Amino acid sequence: MSMKSTIKRLTGGAALALALSPVTAFAWSLEEAAQPYAGTTVDVVFLLRPGYEAAKKMLPEFEEKTGIKVNVTDMPYENALGEQVRDFVANGDFDIALVDLVWIGNFAENEWIVPAEKFINDPALADPDLDLEDFFPLVLDAFGSWGGTLYGLPFDNYSGLLFYNQCMLEEAGLDGPPETWGELKDEYGPALTKDGKYAFALQSKRNETQSADSFARVLWPFGGSFLDDEFRSNLMSEESQAGLQFRQDLMQYMPEGIVAYDHAEAVNALAQGDVAMITEWSSFYSTLKDPATSTIGDCLAVAPEPEGPAGRKPALGGFSLAVASQADENEQAAAWLFIQWVTSKENAAKYLELGGVPARQSVYEMEGVAEKYDFVPALVESWQEGVPEFRPRFAEWPEITEIVQEWGTKMMLGEVSTEEGAKQIGDRMEAVLEEAGYYDGEKPLVQ
Amino acid sequence: MREHTTTTPSLAAQVVLLAAIILFCLFPFYWMVLTSLKTQIVALQTPPAWIFDVTFSNYYDVLFDNAVARSLVNSLIVAVLTTFLAILLGTPAAYALARFEFRGKKELWFWFITNRMVSPIVLALPFFLIVRSFDMLDTHVVLILIYLTFNLPIVIWICTDQFRSIPREIDEAAILEGASQWRIFFSLCLPLAAPGIAVSAIFSFIFSWNELMYALVLTRSAAKTAPAMAVSFMEGYSLPYGKIMATSTLIVVPVIIFALIASKQLVRGLTMGAVK
Amino acid sequence: MLQKTQDLERPAPKESSNAGTVSLGTFLGFLSPAVVTLAAIGIAPLAFAIWTSMRDYNLTRLQRTPFVGLENYATVLTDSVFWDAMGRTFTLLLIALPMQIAAGLGIALILHRPGLTFLKTIARLSLVIPMATTYAVVGLLGQIMFNLKYGVVNQLLGFIGIAPVNWIGDPTNAFAAIVFWDVWQWTPFCALVFLAGLTTVPGEIEEAARLETKSWWTVLRYVQLPFLVPGLTAVLILRTADTLKQFDMVFTMTRGGPGSSTELISLLIQRIGFRAFDQGLASAQAVILLVITIVLSRLYIHFFYREI
Repeated sequence: MSMKSTIKRLTGGAALALALSPVTAFAWSLEEAAQPYAGTTVDVVFLLRPGYEAAKKMLPEFEEKTGIKVNVTDMPYENALGEQVRDFVANGDFDIALVDLVWIGNFAENEWIVPAEKFINDPALADPDLDLEDFFPLVLDAFGSWGGTLYGLPFDNYSGLLFYNQCMLEEAGLDGPPETWGELKDEYGPALTKDGKYAFALQSKRNETQSADSFARVLWPFGGSFLDDEFRSNLMSEESQAGLQFRQDLMQYMPEGIVAYDHAEAVNALAQGDVAMITEWSSFYSTLKDPATSTIGDCLAVAPEPEGPAGRKPALGGFSLAVASQADENEQAAAWLFIQWVTSKENAAKYLELGGVPARQSVYEMEGVAEKYDFVPALVESWQEGVPEFRPRFAEWPEITEIVQEWGTKMMLGEVSTEEGAKQIGDRMEAVLEEAGYYDGEKPLVQ
Repeated sequence: MREHTTTTPSLAAQVVLLAAIILFCLFPFYWMVLTSLKTQIVALQTPPAWIFDVTFSNYYDVLFDNAVARSLVNSLIVAVLTTFLAILLGTPAAYALARFEFRGKKELWFWFITNRMVSPIVLALPFFLIVRSFDMLDTHVVLILIYLTFNLPIVIWICTDQFRSIPREIDEAAILEGASQWRIFFSLCLPLAAPGIAVSAIFSFIFSWNELMYALVLTRSAAKTAPAMAVSFMEGYSLPYGKIMATSTLIVVPVIIFALIASKQLVRGLTMGAVK
Repeated sequence: MLQKTQDLERPAPKESSNAGTVSLGTFLGFLSPAVVTLAAIGIAPLAFAIWTSMRDYNLTRLQRTPFVGLENYATVLTDSVFWDAMGRTFTLLLIALPMQIAAGLGIALILHRPGLTFLKTIARLSLVIPMATTYAVVGLLGQIMFNLKYGVVNQLLGFIGIAPVNWIGDPTNAFAAIVFWDVWQWTPFCALVFLAGLTTVPGEIEEAARLETKSWWTVLRYVQLPFLVPGLTAVLILRTADTLKQFDMVFTMTRGGPGSSTELISLLIQRIGFRAFDQGLASAQAVILLVITIVLSRLYIHFFYREI
């Protein structure tokens, strides 16, 4: 079932439920809906990132209105998956799951998260203004749903963007950002790499950054992909190889030691004026704009990621919040009320102002928003087209990403060729998928 | 080789060498403290700055905003209690290994030592599941008990050697006077083995204070220890080096103070069985 | 061998006179608290680890954990990734440990000499600092000090005319950085152990030897060395076990990268068990690691240590 029809069905369901109970429909308010759950505590994992800081600043308002206590556990991204998996396995404390889009298959298949339907169809809990269609369809589909079922609502949302130092480009006689990856390498590369400065930095550290920001980023625009239709490795295909080879060629225009660059290093390189361009998540805009963390000031400009032969396939990443199955009924209800509230249309503008990036289309159409936040046009454009399976989102991703990280960095270091590396990843990836039962028809081919 | 006669290095050479040793040991510590006093932009400057406007905001931030203070208290509780327990349980066992003759003694000694060799990575998840089933995650008790698995062996090892170095004649004289083994242990041998006990206490404390793996897996907030806290700032997304180093300094200073106070005993107690 | 003989020749009556006087109650009173505690805490999880090592036990697929016998062990033993990690771990051990022992012995010999008391006290106190520094903090510090651009190590090298070195981003250099920190942190431990050993050499013997020969080597080899052997064994056992367990410092500095150049065995196990969630495979790796550690320790004790 396509996502669109799922949304229609859910929205229809909500409308129907509301129609059947006119009393609550007219009277729905957060305060009233939350009344039975006052005093309930919901536990959730937050990351140390701007979107979460923003949400934390909004928390007191929610707690005051509802009497529900939201207990936040801060965690670095690197620990968040392991901590949650162990908690769910052990039937632990978390009532809300923080779901990176690549974890959703895993969480959903293990039934650790509850389909949103349960709450959307409950007139006592569903906000009549929920308006699922207001979310960017790509984002709602990729971040929140698995196998046609909606689980989470998009909360901390990213798209890959091209951040660049306008002044450096102008100095080199370049008019505007590169349109294509080819241009970036062949024109901008040589023109901007000189005097100890580099044209580009591609964060490639051996963790999720390698898979998401580096490896996948060069696959898709060149027409490559991780898997073919039969779920066999597609990394040996001409297109995938072209992309991986492109990355190798591009490295001459990147600073030394790029395989040790994580987001922080890449962003800092642009912020200190050492590189001219980076492709980074939209959420870094605030770091790059802030004079306390960046020296480039008004030279900062933002564009969509360059196109490849297969079109613009920008990196896609982000988190949704979903209700955890292990929570009891009260906690589930309270958890849903929080998720619905923090991702709501009504709160989107506030969330944006506090440093978050909402996935609500309506907020970006508001007057003055595009002018105030330079990244908005590029972001909106990036979320129009994109690949939900930019990284496969099935349950096996945690295992596969480890393989990609290992051999992806070896490839970049020249320890293996792109063919040898791709073959290694392919073989090991297929072994994981084999064991999971994709090849003997045990499991549907969903990514 | 016998003919290879080198005389004592000259005094000047000794001074240079000693200065080099001191510098080598202290420089990273110095750099940690220095970085903790830098703002983010200064910390990421090329080349690194040695002289700059000092800021204490990192300390202020970590102590008041990031619950580092609580994690230090947690570390202290865990390290002190586990050290105490390790000494309490370990010294009698060490005494028995040093003084009593029984079959399988070697194996028992080796079994004790083996406990220290098990990699925490093996046991972390089983512990997690077991502890979870007792509903004791994120508590001090759990860490205290688990840290015994690597502290008890070190206490037993060092103290066994210490007890062995105490002349048996002392015991025998006491036995002739009718003293019980417990009495001999408490009033005669324990005081004589003080340096060894002190050293094993120092190590016990250092190992517990610094432990990361179990702390990461078994605690979340209420019992989170300082090293787990320091690592939690390490998000690839941004690297607040000033804050990280401020936290690190706060972690390292107490254990160094403790170790320095007890360092006199270190040399006396670390003989590892060399008998005078 | 010599040690053993001495042991055997120790006057027998003393041993037996004590052993005879200990009642079972006393015996158990001394030993059982430690034994029971360790057994209670340690055995259950270890048994659980061995149990999972014989199953297809993935945390994200717990609905199905079939018994697979020794399959995980076979996978591990034939996996080049495992042996590469093992190889790197032993490379670290074989490079760092001799350096620690040599430097530690040198430092101990200097500190043991009379004179320059004040400076030597400072030096002895300084030795405590690396040893007490939290391992995870050492790695974090490594990230900062060895950074290509804003690291102080490259700045210092610049003063003596060496071009900036790409430490953390280059496989060989990253490994060198790990060796550096391992040596920094554990040389003082070796020094203190050896210093303690040197103090057990009876003063008269040492002085007599020094009157006979001027060679410090001769004194070391024939007079002091026998007193250093127990400490040396302890260092070998502890450092081997700790290197095989080495995780915190490397994890916080390089996370095993770049590529796999610093992926030591513990980092590999952590990656498989805690990031890929394949606890079965990780347990099998860990059990093999434990066996290797125990065998090595047995060998050290067999060759160097006197009987307990």
